[in-house]
Amino acid sequence: MTSPSTLPTKPLRASLRLLAWAICSLLAVIPLRGADTARQTIAKAILEEDGDKKTALINSLVGQTDESIPVLLATWKADAIFLYKIDDDHKVPVTLLEGKDADDKQAAVRVDDGKPLVDQDGKPVRLVASDLDAAEHDSNLRATMKGVLDLLSLTDPNPDKRMQAIVTLGMSQETEKLPQLLKLQQTEKEGKVKRALSEAVALMQLKDENPEVQIAAAKALGEMGSIPSRDFLKQLIADSAGKPEVVKAAKVAEAAIASHLTTVNAIGTAFRGLSLGSILLVAALGLAITFGLMGVINMAHGELIAVGAYTTYVIQGLFATGVVMQIPTFFFQPITLRFSGMNLSGNKLDAYFLVALPMSFLVAALVGILLERCVIRFLYRRPLESLLATWGVSLVLQQMFRLTFGANNVQVYSPAYLSGNWTVFDVILGWNRVFVICFAIFIIIGTHLLLTKTPVGLLIRAVTQNRQMAACMGVKTQQVNMLTFAFGAGLAGLAGAFLSQIGNVGPSLGQDYIVNAFMTVVVGGVGNLLGTVISALGIGLIDQSLQQILLNPVLGKILVLVGIILFLQWRPAGIFVTKSRSLEG
Amino acid sequence: MKRNISKIELAVATIIALFLVVGFPLLNASGMVADYTINVWGKYLCYGLLAISVDLLWGYTGLLSLGQALFFSLGGYMLGMNLMLMIGQDGQYYKSGNNPNLLPDFMVFLGHTFLPSFWRPFYSFPFAVMMVVAIPGLLALIFGFFAFRSRIKGVYFSILTQALTYAAYIFLLQNDVTMGGNNGFTDFKRILGYNLREPATQRGLYIATAAVLVGVYAFSRWLTTTKFGLVQRAIRDSETRVLFSGYAAANYKLFIFVIASSVAALGGALYVPQVGIINPGELATDKSLEAVVWCAVGGRGTIIGPIIGAIFVNRLKSWATTSYPDYWLIILGVMFILIVLFLPKGIYGLVLQVWNFLFKPKLDPTRDIVAVPEAEPTPVPETVGTPSK
Repeated sequence: MTSPSTLPTKPLRASLRLLAWAICSLLAVIPLRGADTARQTIAKAILEEDGDKKTALINSLVGQTDESIPVLLATWKADAIFLYKIDDDHKVPVTLLEGKDADDKQAAVRVDDGKPLVDQDGKPVRLVASDLDAAEHDSNLRATMKGVLDLLSLTDPNPDKRMQAIVTLGMSQETEKLPQLLKLQQTEKEGKVKRALSEAVALMQLKDENPEVQIAAAKALGEMGSIPSRDFLKQLIADSAGKPEVVKAAKVAEAAIASHLTTVNAIGTAFRGLSLGSILLVAALGLAITFGLMGVINMAHGELIAVGAYTTYVIQGLFATGVVMQIPTFFFQPITLRFSGMNLSGNKLDAYFLVALPMSFLVAALVGILLERCVIRFLYRRPLESLLATWGVSLVLQQMFRLTFGANNVQVYSPAYLSGNWTVFDVILGWNRVFVICFAIFIIIGTHLLLTKTPVGLLIRAVTQNRQMAACMGVKTQQVNMLTFAFGAGLAGLAGAFLSQIGNVGPSLGQDYIVNAFMTVVVGGVGNLLGTVISALGIGLIDQSLQQILLNPVLGKILVLVGIILFLQWRPAGIFVTKSRSLEG
Repeated sequence: MKRNISKIELAVATIIALFLVVGFPLLNASGMVADYTINVWGKYLCYGLLAISVDLLWGYTGLLSLGQALFFSLGGYMLGMNLMLMIGQDGQYYKSGNNPNLLPDFMVFLGHTFLPSFWRPFYSFPFAVMMVVAIPGLLALIFGFFAFRSRIKGVYFSILTQALTYAAYIFLLQNDVTMGGNNGFTDFKRILGYNLREPATQRGLYIATAAVLVGVYAFSRWLTTTKFGLVQRAIRDSETRVLFSGYAAANYKLFIFVIASSVAALGGALYVPQVGIINPGELATDKSLEAVVWCAVGGRGTIIGPIIGAIFVNRLKSWATTSYPDYWLIILGVMFILIVLFLPKGIYGLVLQVWNFLFKPKLDPTRDIVAVPEAEPTPVPETVGTPSK
């Protein structure tokens, strides 16, 4: 019994076969009908004996979008295209694939169609590189190839690559490429590429014979505030001694660019100062709470920052390929803990930072509670002793980091949303810096609200102002101390999570920040968050400005420290003084 | 005013001093003590000087300076400059013919062709020794003047001295201040014409160190028993009351700060020829704090305590860093925490307490251990109502 469905399929199958055949033949016909493909052109150029024709063939590649062009040309330049002799008259240009077998033979690929090289029986041919002649090229040809590649990248579909090519071309001032640029100018739509184009065109026009074109170009560059063109304008001033008009225009343009540069530098300095200030603020805020509100000098604050940074590292490890820790067990073999990671990548891996933020707060806060219960609570009202004991704690913690995570810095991966940058008016704004500024604003507001608007904040302030009186009113001062200290430690941990995105994470991470954090708190005045904010931003801005002016970061830092010492002459208790009737204060 | 130094103490101190200055080197000369040992002890005694300088400020005046390593290193640098110039024709660059002007090697390395003018006077050893005291003393005077004038005290003073040290640290790290940069000074050959590799020279340096330590000990012990010493301790206990009594506390503090800094500088100057190197690492934040640890461990508020502490902690360090290199910092940290929390008067205080407990059970062991108890009656609460003298 035949299936009913077989009957109607017969004509269908036939028509399908017909269609497939038609498509195949079409595919085969297209290259024959039109010009050669890019690969074929290159193969022809390789085989061509005549130098001029060779150059012409290469030049004919301009305007094609085949991705194999730059690859093949680069291979050619690197002497990695070989000529395989089929017989005495016919040669085939081939490239060899990676992977040699025992006889040093490699699989070969034809240049003209990108398919494996086969012999008459259709079997793939394997060749030994040293037996073959490489395709030749001379300096003239290489220059041609470079020119073609430059022009090819001008039409790259990716705007960033296109812009890069345009900028490079403009800087080279190769005036013979000017027509290409002018042609591009009419079709280009992307804003930043357009700007780069007009900059490149103007740069080229500086070399023009006609003084009026030169003047117009200089004027255009001046208006654009094009920083890279400054040297070219200076060159122009030096070169065109006989043309006072050109010199004048170039000088005006150069001055305009110089003033633009000053503005850019000033804004850049302000931005860096702001971001340094935010880093200081983030690092110092926890310290301001424990020192300012509780009168405890926590020398281990830097290590609490490191706790946060290492927590970030561990969370990242759990999201990626796992993490190994060596828990030191005094005088015995260390226990090695291995956590296998979730092997995530891309956006999912990037999300680790959002988990790391609360975790670093929690872990550091826990360490803080431990520290407060075991050491600090014996030392309230004995600030000097608290300084010394917590220094002991900091030594212990540093060594624990060293034993657990190794003495070298660990790698913390920056998520994509923190590792880019914006360029606004020639000022480069790193996303991580922008983020740290926003974060600083966020935690300042958060801390302020916590201290002023919540019941816990009320208790903290009460204990800070008068411990005995608060205790008399039934406040459990011990608990409040613990909470306050944990909060300060948690803020340090948060700071650590952020600093891991900006600097190195290593056992001595805390030491890099502690002196500056103390300075910030001391200058800001004890027990006043606003003072800390002002002092952090002030120190950051002054530090960066001095660096910009003196061009010597170390001298700038020293001057800042000396400045702080002198500032305390004027206001010994910092910017904001907590008014008190107590003599010993 | 009553003399606080008893005859027993004087006798014990003299015996120990004689042993340190005369006996120990004699044992070395006769071959019973190794050259290495005498060198190590010379180092410990230098640390003892540094610890005394911390104690004069912290234990007696209540000024916790975290910058004493700065003065120690400055002293070392000053003498080091002389030692560098004394290398002369033994320098590597001179031997290879690249250094006709006999500059210190690091300067040739950095491309200098002539000696910076401030280096010139350091050809003279007496000048260098003068500078050892003068430069740190001057720095202490200027810094102290500003700090004490504006009544910066307590932790503020600590943090500021730490900042000063940090500033000096990054300053000296620079190559263009021509102080050796990151590597500092090293490869010394001779001091006052004597070869530094000779055991006899090292012995001489040890004797000098021991003699200076004994001298500083005697001076400090005397100073703390004078009226000045009393005011010093009064400032420590309540600066406000001292001010209200009409004393210019700032001047007292400034004086002791300069003295203590000079003591530290002397220690540093003696330290450098014995260890053969000085670099900015010596004034890292941790070094000052380590000196505070020695002082706390030995017993602050006494002069002998810091010396004991410096020797004890460094002996412990030598042992621990070879036996348990990974745990040394943890041992140090935990020891320090425990001492701060439970043993505020350190080892010496503990010994004294045990001594008093065993032999003088009537006495109050918590009283100030500087005063030798036997001369005074125990204070009794009943005296409140009696008419005062």
